[in-house]
Amino acid sequence: MLQTIVYGFTIGAILYLFSIGLSITFGTMHIINFAHGMVYALGVYLFITIIPLLAGSFTLSMAASIVAMIPVAYVVERYVIRRLYGEGLDYSIIATYAVLLIGTDVIKMVWGAVPQPVVDPVGVSISFAEIDLPVYRIVIVLSAFAVFVGLRVFFTKSVIGRVVVAALEDPEGVRCLGLDVNRYFSIVFVLGSSLAVLGGVLYAPISTVEPYMGFHILLVAFAVVIVGGMGNLTGTFIAAMALGMVMAITGRYWSQASHAMVFVVMAIVLVLRPIEET
Amino acid sequence: MKTLADKSTLNSGVTSRSMVPLELAVIAVGFVLVAIFMRVHWTTNFMIFCMLVLSYDLLYGYMGHLSFGHMLYFGAGAYAAGLWLVRINMSCLQAILAGVLCSALIAAVLGCIVVRTRGATFALINMAFNEIGYFVVYSALRDYTHGEDGLSCAGAPVLGMIDPYDEYHAFGFVLVLLLAVFWFMRRLTSSPYGILIRSIKENEKRVSFLGYNTSAFRWLTFVIASSLAGLAGAVFAVVQGFVSPMAISSFGNVEIIFAVLIGGAGNLYGALIGGVIFMVIKNFLPVIIPGAQKLVDFTLPQWELWLGIVLLIIVFALREGVVGFCAAKLSAIRAGRTSEGI
Amino acid sequence: MIEIRDIDVAYGGAQVLHGVNVTLNQGEMVFIVGRNGAGKTTLLKTAAGLLEPSDGKITFNGAEIQGTPAEKLALRGIRFVAQEKRVFSSLTVRSNIELAAYAAGVDVNKAIEKVLSLYPKLDEFMDRKAGSLSGGQREILLIGRGIVGDPAVLLIDEPTEGLAPVVINDIFRILSYMKEKVSSLIVEQNLSVVCKLADRVYVMKEGKVTHTFTRSDLVGGTKELERHL
Repeated sequence: MLQTIVYGFTIGAILYLFSIGLSITFGTMHIINFAHGMVYALGVYLFITIIPLLAGSFTLSMAASIVAMIPVAYVVERYVIRRLYGEGLDYSIIATYAVLLIGTDVIKMVWGAVPQPVVDPVGVSISFAEIDLPVYRIVIVLSAFAVFVGLRVFFTKSVIGRVVVAALEDPEGVRCLGLDVNRYFSIVFVLGSSLAVLGGVLYAPISTVEPYMGFHILLVAFAVVIVGGMGNLTGTFIAAMALGMVMAITGRYWSQASHAMVFVVMAIVLVLRPIEET
Repeated sequence: MKTLADKSTLNSGVTSRSMVPLELAVIAVGFVLVAIFMRVHWTTNFMIFCMLVLSYDLLYGYMGHLSFGHMLYFGAGAYAAGLWLVRINMSCLQAILAGVLCSALIAAVLGCIVVRTRGATFALINMAFNEIGYFVVYSALRDYTHGEDGLSCAGAPVLGMIDPYDEYHAFGFVLVLLLAVFWFMRRLTSSPYGILIRSIKENEKRVSFLGYNTSAFRWLTFVIASSLAGLAGAVFAVVQGFVSPMAISSFGNVEIIFAVLIGGAGNLYGALIGGVIFMVIKNFLPVIIPGAQKLVDFTLPQWELWLGIVLLIIVFALREGVVGFCAAKLSAIRAGRTSEGI
Repeated sequence: MIEIRDIDVAYGGAQVLHGVNVTLNQGEMVFIVGRNGAGKTTLLKTAAGLLEPSDGKITFNGAEIQGTPAEKLALRGIRFVAQEKRVFSSLTVRSNIELAAYAAGVDVNKAIEKVLSLYPKLDEFMDRKAGSLSGGQREILLIGRGIVGDPAVLLIDEPTEGLAPVVINDIFRILSYMKEKVSSLIVEQNLSVVCKLADRVYVMKEGKVTHTFTRSDLVGGTKELERHL
């Protein structure tokens, strides 16, 4: 059971890292960004390609792939997301979904459709009370906590962070002070994308790396963002951990149902929540 | 907030009753022509897809509610019909009815939840239910649905005469049903109800201030649209004789949206034209794409790339779709004529 | 200083302003009055760069500014103070001012000093969340934010709306204090405040300017104004 709980937090951690970007983009720009899945998947594939070039160093390759994806995220933001700003929801969903489709196909063309294995970088387990706990999973959970704390500091102490918090509430007010809100939104967009790549790379050794991985995590991430509240950073963290736990516990008893159970929980939450206005 | 569906205001007025038989005849002739140029059974599938697109247009084009989970109802209708044929009797008509009722029932229940959401959440929660549906079909009810392997279902000839597995019979049967759906949609959208749901798309608050229970109408539209999708699914099962989880896969939602956009949302002809164009492209693209291509049911390798690119072009350049584009050209020509005093 | 010439503005699909002409000269405090829905907020927002007119021109010291976005205009010296007293509620009062200072490129402490010179009592609330302030305090914070960086022009939308008479007095004193220091264009419903401070008043109705009052016209009090609303 302890293993399942740790696994639940692990999944929650990955979900959190991925969902933050989604949540921020929706909170700031009111855009549902399916392309987030593409950035995630592409980042992981780049990581796999870079590893042999950097003598198999996990951390270095992770850093390199995150850095490599920054220009990609910027291009997506500049040429797709920014054009969708202020448009209706349907445009943003369809256009970003299109980017996801294109990215998935590019991955298939370049790397092929066969899943790619990645080795657990720590490869060590703690054993106590006859239970095997892979240290790596604990590393993942701790990383997510570190990011959570880091983001809190960023949004409460740094100027950029506070501008974004202000803009989440009153973008016109920020503009009227003389700040170009879009530029700040771009910065957090790239930040969110980098976190997604981080999550993807951390998850790679314990998951399947295949071209459609972006789609699969997106679905669950949407549940996280809806349950946690769009643009609500703390809510996203709690929702991610909770839904990760749901997946882990369901997976233990009925493995195929783990995805579906997340949506059942989401539906229940939506029923119990007060009706939302547009 | 602008939406794609806002841009099409064509044919949103009331069409006079006497025009309808003419319209139906034109559509029938149109599909016969398509069948002559393409294979008959392809056209039958096109028509089923057009039924699905029409049902989606009611929800999205007319009422402005984007759903990413419409395939749930197509799939529910398909599986319900298929299971009826396998487990209860071989009557195609009863199977189709079962399919429609099954989708209607599911929509009625889920609709109560879904109606509490709007915008992004509405789109996503429908997608979530679609995923749950897929799981149910693929795993949970595997004993009944045969999961991945798919369900073979054979039906007896309709009314003793129409053999669903004969190309031409199937074509005629589906054409009649499509015309019936079109007629129903035409009546519905020109009625006061139709005007009401279009008003809801424009400004829901205003409509509710006028005293209407907008949630009830949204629920009703959701159920009707889903039932029509179920009808399309049931017909699909009957005519194909086989149902696989692809029928309930959420990937199919993009294709419906794509078709609606190509043709022009909020417009019945747009739904038909978009459906046909999309299906034609999808069936011909594998021939055009170089390299070995295996014809897989819904998604093809390299298919995604082209679909993605065209979607982007439509969103950023061609928002009104084919029908909107043509109508804009027409009114520009007309305006040009009147200014020259012709 | 600011010349609004013949502008038409559409908003939310409807034509809101029709051929509006308004002038604000240097050092003036000009008011805009009118019933709800007359287009007053739309006018200010257009001058601020949040909206773009479909026709007509707006000039600032001779340069055309219609269509220039709000963030650029704010740096050029035109600052908009929105209605409904919307501050950055999850940030502290200090942070609100800090962001204004950061945007204007001004030293933070000087900015805080400047705001406190408007209303010293705000010092008690510096580290409180801006959302916890009362309506009047929020309005004062908003105006304070607006003057950080010494803008040339302030556009203020309904500063006394929803405030108790005692608090309105505070706002009145602040506006008087600012009167010579910055040129202002203010939308206001409280006619006695208008009469006491205005160099000129424009009356708006259904998207048009229907009447203009100068300082001398207002000597008799609010009755003339009321008649024209």
